[in-house]
Amino acid sequence: MTERIMAPETPDCRSAGRYLWWLVTSQRGRIALGAILGSAWMVGLTLPPYVLSRAIDDGLTPGRWDALAGWVGAVVALGVLNAWLAIMRHRTMTRVRMDAAFRTVQVVALHATRLGATLSRKVTAGEVVTIGSGDAGVIAQALTITGPGVGSVLAYVIVAALLLAVSPLLAAVVLLGVPLLAVLLGPLMGRLSGAETAYRARQGELAARFGDIAAGLRVLNGIGGKEVYADRYRRGSRELQEQGYRVGAVTSWIQALGVGLPTLFLGAVTWLAARMAAQGDITAGELVAVYGYAAVLVLPVTFFIEGSYGLSRGLVAARRVVRLLTLEPDVTGGDARLDPPASPSVLRDPGSGVEIAPGELTALVSARPGESAAVLDRLGGFTGSDVTWGGLRLGDIDRARVRERILVAENEADLFAGSLRDVIAGSVDPDEEAVERAVHAAMAEDVVRGLPDGLDSPVDAQGRNLSGGQRQRVRLARALLADPEILLAAEPTSAVDAHTEATIATRLRAARAGRATAVTTTSPLVLDQADTVYYLVDGSVAATGSHRDLLRDHPGYRLLVSRDTHDPEDSDGTGGDGGAGGAGGAGGADDVGGAGGFGGARGVGGADGGAGAGADGTGGTEGVDGEAGATGARPEEVVR
Amino acid sequence: MSGPSAAGSLPVAEPSQVRRAALRLIRLDARAFAAVIALNALAAGAGLVGPWLLGRIVDAVKAGAGVGAVDRLALVILACALAQLLLSRYASYLGHRFGERTLARVREQFTERALALPASVIERAGTGDLTTRGTTDVAAVGATLRDAGPEVLIAAVQAAFILGAVFTLDPLLGACGVLGLLGIWFAARWYLRRAVTAYLEEGAANSALAEQLAATTTGARTIEALGLERRRLEACRRAVEECRRTRTRTLFLRSLLFPIVDVSYVIPVAGVLLIGGVMTQGGAVTLGTVVASALYLRQLSHPLDTVLFHLENLQSSGASFARVEGLALASRQGAAGAAPSVPASDRLEVAGAHYAYDGGPDVLRGVDLTVQPGERLAIVGPSGAGKTTLGRLLAGVDRPRAGTVTVGGVPVAGLDPDRLRERVILVTQEHHVFLGTVRDNLRIAAPSATDADLRAALTAVGADWIGDLPDGLDTDLGPGGHRLDGAQTQQVALARVVLADPHTLILDEATALLDPGTARHTERALAAVLAGRTVIAIAHRLQTAHDADRVAVMQDGRLTELGTHHDLVAEGGTYAALWHSWHGD
Repeated sequence: MTERIMAPETPDCRSAGRYLWWLVTSQRGRIALGAILGSAWMVGLTLPPYVLSRAIDDGLTPGRWDALAGWVGAVVALGVLNAWLAIMRHRTMTRVRMDAAFRTVQVVALHATRLGATLSRKVTAGEVVTIGSGDAGVIAQALTITGPGVGSVLAYVIVAALLLAVSPLLAAVVLLGVPLLAVLLGPLMGRLSGAETAYRARQGELAARFGDIAAGLRVLNGIGGKEVYADRYRRGSRELQEQGYRVGAVTSWIQALGVGLPTLFLGAVTWLAARMAAQGDITAGELVAVYGYAAVLVLPVTFFIEGSYGLSRGLVAARRVVRLLTLEPDVTGGDARLDPPASPSVLRDPGSGVEIAPGELTALVSARPGESAAVLDRLGGFTGSDVTWGGLRLGDIDRARVRERILVAENEADLFAGSLRDVIAGSVDPDEEAVERAVHAAMAEDVVRGLPDGLDSPVDAQGRNLSGGQRQRVRLARALLADPEILLAAEPTSAVDAHTEATIATRLRAARAGRATAVTTTSPLVLDQADTVYYLVDGSVAATGSHRDLLRDHPGYRLLVSRDTHDPEDSDGTGGDGGAGGAGGAGGADDVGGAGGFGGARGVGGADGGAGAGADGTGGTEGVDGEAGATGARPEEVVR
Repeated sequence: MSGPSAAGSLPVAEPSQVRRAALRLIRLDARAFAAVIALNALAAGAGLVGPWLLGRIVDAVKAGAGVGAVDRLALVILACALAQLLLSRYASYLGHRFGERTLARVREQFTERALALPASVIERAGTGDLTTRGTTDVAAVGATLRDAGPEVLIAAVQAAFILGAVFTLDPLLGACGVLGLLGIWFAARWYLRRAVTAYLEEGAANSALAEQLAATTTGARTIEALGLERRRLEACRRAVEECRRTRTRTLFLRSLLFPIVDVSYVIPVAGVLLIGGVMTQGGAVTLGTVVASALYLRQLSHPLDTVLFHLENLQSSGASFARVEGLALASRQGAAGAAPSVPASDRLEVAGAHYAYDGGPDVLRGVDLTVQPGERLAIVGPSGAGKTTLGRLLAGVDRPRAGTVTVGGVPVAGLDPDRLRERVILVTQEHHVFLGTVRDNLRIAAPSATDADLRAALTAVGADWIGDLPDGLDTDLGPGGHRLDGAQTQQVALARVVLADPHTLILDEATALLDPGTARHTERALAAVLAGRTVIAIAHRLQTAHDADRVAVMQDGRLTELGTHHDLVAEGGTYAALWHSWHGD
């Protein structure tokens, strides 16, 4: 089902190390080029002190013009060459890192879509987000060692050779001293980042505190308490400041030592070399060169040590990636490869006793919404069960083929960022007319009108720029457009007002005519449209029938779904009033359409009538536009 | 939350205002700032002695000086290195403290300004921009104050000292060094003009990619259910492509800057050697001077790299600081001084009120309504009829475009927030649970309330679950603590209102998240607690209307029906139809 449109190769997930190696071997050429350029660059960096010393010794000191000009020319040429090597190395390594990061993101995305619903059961969202926001970058950074890492070893060897030619004693001091310094300073740098981490955590807390104030500003404005929050923030801010002082006391030492210790070492080496020069063991030019070599060697050694840290961090990150990539989709049955029933068939959940018949609108009513949702989950094949479809065990049927024909639509379903058209279109390519039909059926026309560019307006991830009621109708439109053979919708109208609910109920029925639909709901407006209603108690069917039959015969059901105005707490006359109202309502049932134009159109053919009535009821479109468009947060509807 | 709206967005400070604000911050801590500069200068000075002495050593060796002379010079080199280490440590420590203090000033002032923002400004601008400024922008300013700023300062001082040293050794060699560096200046100018946007784009593309991946994984179930695999992978691929494009762009910018800078470092060295060669010939300078100058100029690369590395940080944090300071303008914006008058009564009066959002069409078209003190009024009607807008006018959040909304004869929107709170409180379904305990969350409404008061308020809104919480009123509601569901959040919001005890309470779908039974129970309990108070309820559950003294029906920005439930049902108008429809008749 999933086309391999992105990463063509399969990652090596046997271990974190192998994964990193796979990232290396996936771009052999580039890695090799990076290593060559990195080495050449590092070696290039060690040469200027030598060329400079020759310019002084052969040109400047004896006053020989031709030699001076020649060596100065070499200084410039070497500078240009080094600049070229540096940028080519940087370009190559940037490409290496990009490739590694993007490859990781792509294999993770691909695997996530393969895992489907299994993913959220086995991995927290936070873990995966960490991969996208941090791990991919850390892994990419680890590959840096393939370029300058190799180069730094080479550079070290070359400097060693050059120093040995000057003086074995100096060579020994420098070649041992520099790595020793780096090893000493390494842990210090580690402490630096440790101290910073603690500070950052506190800084994050303070930022969260501000976010809290900003998000609750309306409440603080409306109800009071600003002083309390201003005080609390100030206290947090002062605490952070104190913590910052403490961090500063440590980090300032670390920073000063980081620069100061190499300088001191350089001073010591210079002293040693100067004494040898004074005794005539080395020349003045060599003295300058030794100074330069010692200074230059710091770079490759630091590079190498940083690269090692990078590699160890990269391995940790790769371990997380590998863990995700080795997850396997849950298979609900044995080999799960059976073909689904050829024609529309009954979907049966023995656990509850619910049956979804082809072509019918079925409703599930339960005092606890979670119980009816669990039934839909089983019927949709998201949790293992004994559900059968046309007599076959649902778990034995090829999962992809089940998904093509049975759709569970729920209010928690994710909305992905994109144009409203794309959001509603789901997996199909948007056909203008079909989109409009689905929008109409879900009573979402006002959502389209309320956005600046209609269907082409951007919708934020999770529909954050829509109200709860709008999100619900957009989800419904998406499910209706998908047009599955069996639609299992959980509480599709829980967040909309009565007018909208009535209209959606009729339009839903019309839109799904001839196809099986099951909804969980307690709304009498929706229940009245259902062919069959299952009344669930403790997760099993307690009664079945039409809405009206159940209302008549089952007091528990009546109590649950009726919107009568009396309740058990009433001991005064309101109960009577409510009863009267209810009776009046029941009596008027036949001519409701005449009374106000709401829900007047029942049944398949009535969709248009319902639309007209709905438009009357909502009082024209300008009001909707104005309010919805301007406030952004449309508080008219219930947030889920 | 809502997208940026040009009309209502928060202002950004002008460059001149930013400069003034920055200078003010430095003046507030002037002595510390001066000390930081002085210590850095001393440290940089100590750092320059080394190469100069190396030149002297070279000269001494040339002149055939003995080991003793070399030892003396070398000891001074080591002493200077040690002095530099200590000086730079204290310079950096003082700089760090200065940065921390200044950052605390910036963020505390920002928070005070945010809390002082008038309600109308917040409504217009939304809290998203405010949150970004208070978190991301303040952090960017902080990073500059703590890290980039001091480092650039140190590097600039070092570079100035190095050039100064070369000039002191020989002005002609110094001039040669400065001329060689001109290329860097042009390259940096060219680069900086493009870098900020390019890096912002790169950052945005990175976050977009992370977001796509997060959406794909958190939404894995939805993707499976709807068969969205191909589309999601396509979206990820596009995000990757965008990432690649933006990174390639910044790589291109670096590809031009870096080589020019690297070559520029070599040119002064080469120039000094050539010119120095000529000058030593004539005896104008010693060999040691030329060597020391060349070594100094080679050293320039380090501080200049630091400056170049941070320049774009400085530029973007400057923009952040302008946004942070912009809030000062927003606080001033709303502070249009209205004469504080005292309402004569709690009678709410709406007369001929029109309202439009930001120049859009009118959503209220001439509403007249009088709400008597102590009355329970329900406002019903279809979505988009203007119910919420009317509620906001009644609560003083917005002013009518035409007509008046008054309480006791005084315009509601003109009351200052503290006085308004005593009169009218609006509760919507947009609730917020603050970080902290249940007690913290309730006490904002009544700082002096006792635990018994808090419990009573919770009981009044049917929040019996408080007894089930692990630590009762002390239960932490922050992340990692106990999470309240939507209904419980709503009850906390209502309990706050009970504690605040205003004269008039406007409930905009404030019980919509409760299940029907609880909602009804809560509304009634609330009514008992608020006996004698005016309650205006906007609701789509019609039980609320049934329980009210009067029902107002809104349609298309107008008030079309007004009367008791029974009268309106008997009239057989819109409300009656609504009532029947609600029952599914």
